[in-house]
Amino acid sequence: MVEVIIQLVINGLLLGGLYALLSIGLTLIFGVLEIVNFAHGEFLMVSMYLTFLLFSFFGMDPYLSLIVILPVFFLFGYAIEKIIIKPLLNDPPLNQIFATIGLGLIFSNVALLLFKADFRTVKTSYSDANLIFGNFFVSVPRLIAFAIAIALIAALLLYLKKTFTGKAIRALAQQRKAAMLMGIDVHRTYAIAFGIGIACVGAAGAVLLPLFFVFPTVGSLFSLIAFVIVILGGYNSLAGSLVAGLIIGLIEGFSGFFISPHLKEVVYFVLFIFILIFRPTGLFGKR
Amino acid sequence: MKETLTTLIESAKRFRKPLIALAVVLALVIPLLPRNPFYQDLIIMIFFWATLATAWNLLGGFAGQISLGHAGFFGIGAYTSTILYLTFGLSPWIGMFAGAGLSMIVALLVGFPTFRLTSHFFALATLAFGEVLRLLASYWRELTNGGVGLLLPHTPGFRNFIFDNKAVYAYIILVMLLAVLCVTYIFKKSRFGYSLFALREDPGAAESLGVNTHRAKMYALLISVFFTSIAGTFYAQYVAFIEPDIVFTSHVSIQLALLSIIGGIGTVFGPLVGSLFLTPLDIFLRGWLGGVFSGLNFIVYGVILILAVMFFPLGIAGWIRKKIAGFEKAPELPEKTSAEPVGCPEARAEHRAEAGAPLMTVDAISKRFGGLEAVKDLSFMVREGEILGLIGPNGAGKTTVFNLISGFIVPDRGTIVFNGKDISSLKAPHCFCRECIGRTFQLVKPFQHMTVLENVMVGAFACTRHTEEAEKAASAILQRIHLSHHAYTMASNLTIADRKRLELGRALATQPKLLLLDEVMAGLNPKETEDIIGIIRSISRDGITIIMIEHVMKAVMSLSDRIVVINNGIKLVEGLPNEVVKDQRVVDAYLGGAYHATAGLK
Repeated sequence: MVEVIIQLVINGLLLGGLYALLSIGLTLIFGVLEIVNFAHGEFLMVSMYLTFLLFSFFGMDPYLSLIVILPVFFLFGYAIEKIIIKPLLNDPPLNQIFATIGLGLIFSNVALLLFKADFRTVKTSYSDANLIFGNFFVSVPRLIAFAIAIALIAALLLYLKKTFTGKAIRALAQQRKAAMLMGIDVHRTYAIAFGIGIACVGAAGAVLLPLFFVFPTVGSLFSLIAFVIVILGGYNSLAGSLVAGLIIGLIEGFSGFFISPHLKEVVYFVLFIFILIFRPTGLFGKR
Repeated sequence: MKETLTTLIESAKRFRKPLIALAVVLALVIPLLPRNPFYQDLIIMIFFWATLATAWNLLGGFAGQISLGHAGFFGIGAYTSTILYLTFGLSPWIGMFAGAGLSMIVALLVGFPTFRLTSHFFALATLAFGEVLRLLASYWRELTNGGVGLLLPHTPGFRNFIFDNKAVYAYIILVMLLAVLCVTYIFKKSRFGYSLFALREDPGAAESLGVNTHRAKMYALLISVFFTSIAGTFYAQYVAFIEPDIVFTSHVSIQLALLSIIGGIGTVFGPLVGSLFLTPLDIFLRGWLGGVFSGLNFIVYGVILILAVMFFPLGIAGWIRKKIAGFEKAPELPEKTSAEPVGCPEARAEHRAEAGAPLMTVDAISKRFGGLEAVKDLSFMVREGEILGLIGPNGAGKTTVFNLISGFIVPDRGTIVFNGKDISSLKAPHCFCRECIGRTFQLVKPFQHMTVLENVMVGAFACTRHTEEAEKAASAILQRIHLSHHAYTMASNLTIADRKRLELGRALATQPKLLLLDEVMAGLNPKETEDIIGIIRSISRDGITIIMIEHVMKAVMSLSDRIVVINNGIKLVEGLPNEVVKDQRVVDAYLGGAYHATAGLK
C-alpha cells in the first residue's frame, strides 16, 4: 500500500508540474488584465494540433517544437489582445466573457472541420520508456514534461522579477493607474502579458501531447483543471498557481486510483465548491 | 408573502394590454402557418429557444449574473421527467414540476457559494457545474443509460405529453413562453426588478439602499431555473430522445446568452427577438451545412458573438429602445407635490428635539487591515436631530468609520448601539439600511445605466413595495435635491455635482433616521456647495440626524452642531465647532497654522 501511495505521489507531482504550466498563463492574464480567458483550453488544443502537425509533417520532436510554438503563440496572443481584448477592457464583464467564449467556439469547431473528431497523438521512441528505481516507475515523457514545465515557470518568474517589461507587468497587476503615471505603455504591456500567457499554455500543449490525445473538444477538459488551479492558487499569485498545480496533480492521481478516473472532473468541481465556501481567496490569496 | 402576491397581481393588471396583444399575435401565427412539418418545427424551435433565453436573461441580463451552466438545469428537467416516466410511468406533466423542483434545489446549493464570486468567476463556476452534470449523466449509466441516451416510445396521448399533431407542441411552448415573458415583464416594473438592476450596476450601493443582494440574486436564479427546467421537459417530450451530450452541453448555455445578447440583453423582449433572428439561421446552418461541415454553425456563432459584443452590445431591442428614446419626449413628472418632509415619521414628529437623546452610540470600535490599525478604540455618540461633523486628515480612518457604522465592514471589537439596539452584529449593509441608516459614498456609485428617477426609486423601494408610490416618493426627492429636470437622464451622463446630489437623494429616499454623508461637497464649485448646504439644512430641519465627513471647512463650521476630529484612527478631540478649531492638536494634525489666518474664523 505504501508503495502504491509513493508511486501515486510521483505520478501526481509529475502531472502537477505540467498542470502548473497549463494554468500559469491563465493566472498571469487574469492578474494583469483582470480578464478570465475562457478560450484558455482551446489555445491549448490549438497548440496540441500544431505540435501534432509539426511532428507528422516534419518529424519534429514534440519537445523540440517548443522553439516554434513559443514564439508563434506569443505573437498569436499578442495579436488577439490587440484585436479583440483591448477594445473590451473597459466594458462590462459580460462582453469580455463572451468574446473569449466566442474565440473558443471558433477554435474548437475549426479544429473539428479540419481534423474531425478523431483522437490523435504522437508516438516517439521514448513514449513508453520508464526509469525504474527499485519498485517505482518514472515515465520518461512525464519526467521531461515536468522538467520543461518547471524550467519555463522558473524562467517566467525570473523574467517578471528582473527585466523592465517584467516589472512593468507586475506593476500593472498591482495598480493600473499608478503604473500608467510611471510612464508604462499600458497597452503594449497588456499585449505582452497576454502573449506570454498564451505562450505558456502553448508550451503546455506541446509537452502534453506525447502523454495525451488531442481532439477538438480537449480544451474544455483542461480548462476546468486550469480554472480550479487558478482559484486554489489565489487568483493572481503565480507562485500560488505552481503549488496549486502540484496539489491538483496529486489529487488527480489519488482520486483516479481510489475513486474513478472517469470522475476526476467531479472531484475537481467538489473541490472547487469547497474552496469557494471555506477559502474563497484561495490558498495564497490575500483576504 | 400575501403582500407580494397582491402587488404582483396589481402589476399584472397594469400591464395586461400589451401582453394580451402579444399573446394573441403569437397564438395566431401557429394555425396560420402552412401545415408543413418544417415550418411547424421552425416556429416551435423559435418559441422554445425564446423561452429558454428569456429565462436566462432574467438572471444574466437583469441581475447581471452570467450563468454558463443553464444547460445543467435544462438537462435536469429533461432527465427527471423522462426517467420518472420510463421507470414509474409518471405523467411528464407531473414529472416536469418534479424536475423543476429538483433543479431549484440544486440551484440553491450551487448558488449559495457561487454568488460570492465576481462575475468572471461566477461564469466559470457555473460552466464547471454544467460540465460536471454532463459527466455525471454519462457516467451514471444505471440511472441515465449513459451516452446511449434515453428514448421515449411514441405512445400519443395527453397524459403521456406526446402528440401526433405538432401544433399542440407549438401551443404548449407558446404558453410557456408567454408565462416567462409575463413574469419578466412584471418584474421589470416591480421592486424586485429594480433591485436586480441596481445590484447589477453596483452591489455595494444597492446594499446601502436596503437591497438584500444575495437574496435577490437567489430569487432570480430560482425563477430562471424553474423555466429552464420545464423547457427541458418540453424538449424531451418533443424530440423524444435525450442524451448527455445534447442536453447538458455548454453549447446550450452559450446559445441562451447569444440569443439574449443579439436580441438585447436586460430587455424583456430581447431574447424573443434574438430567437426570431437566430433560430432560423441555426436550423439553416445545421440542416444544410452542418451535415457537410459539422461544426460550421458553431464557427458562425463564435464570430457573431465576438462581433456582437464588440460592435453591437445593446442588441436589437436595446438599439431600438435607444432610437425611440431619442425621439420620445421625456414623460412629465407627476404633479408638483408639496415639499413633503421625508425621514422616518417618528423622527419627523420630534422635529429636532433640543439636544435629543443619543441616537447612535459607538463604543470602542476597532478595525485592523493587515498591519494597519485603521480605527482604534473609537467611541463617539450622535444625538437625535443634530449634525455631527467628522473631520480629520486624509487616511485618518473617517471612511472606515462610515463603513463600520453602515455595515460594510464588521468591527473587530466594540459595539454600535443605534436607536437602543445593538447593531454591531448585523450581517450585511442592507440590514443597516432597514434600521434607518442611510449613507452616501465618497466615490459616488450611481447606477449608471438607470435614469436619475430610477436611481432614486431604488432607494424609495426600501419603504414601499408599490412602484407608483416609489415613483411618487422619488419625484418628491428629486425636487428637493433640485434634479427634477434630469429625472429621465441616464445617471452616467450626469456631471459630478449632479451625481453627488443624486447620491444624497437616493440615500434620502430610504427615509433614514441617520444619514451618513461622505464628502458630498468634494469637487464642487462654490455655488454648487451653497446649493448642497441648503439641501442638507432642509434635511436636518425635517429631523434627520446627520453625520458628515467633510473637508470643506466653511461648510463643516456652518452646518455642524458638534465636531469629532480623528487622526490615525483615534479620536483627537470632540466638541463644539468653535472650540474644536481652536484646539492646538487639531490645528497641528489637520487644519494647519494657516487656517485661522485665511479661512477667517469669526
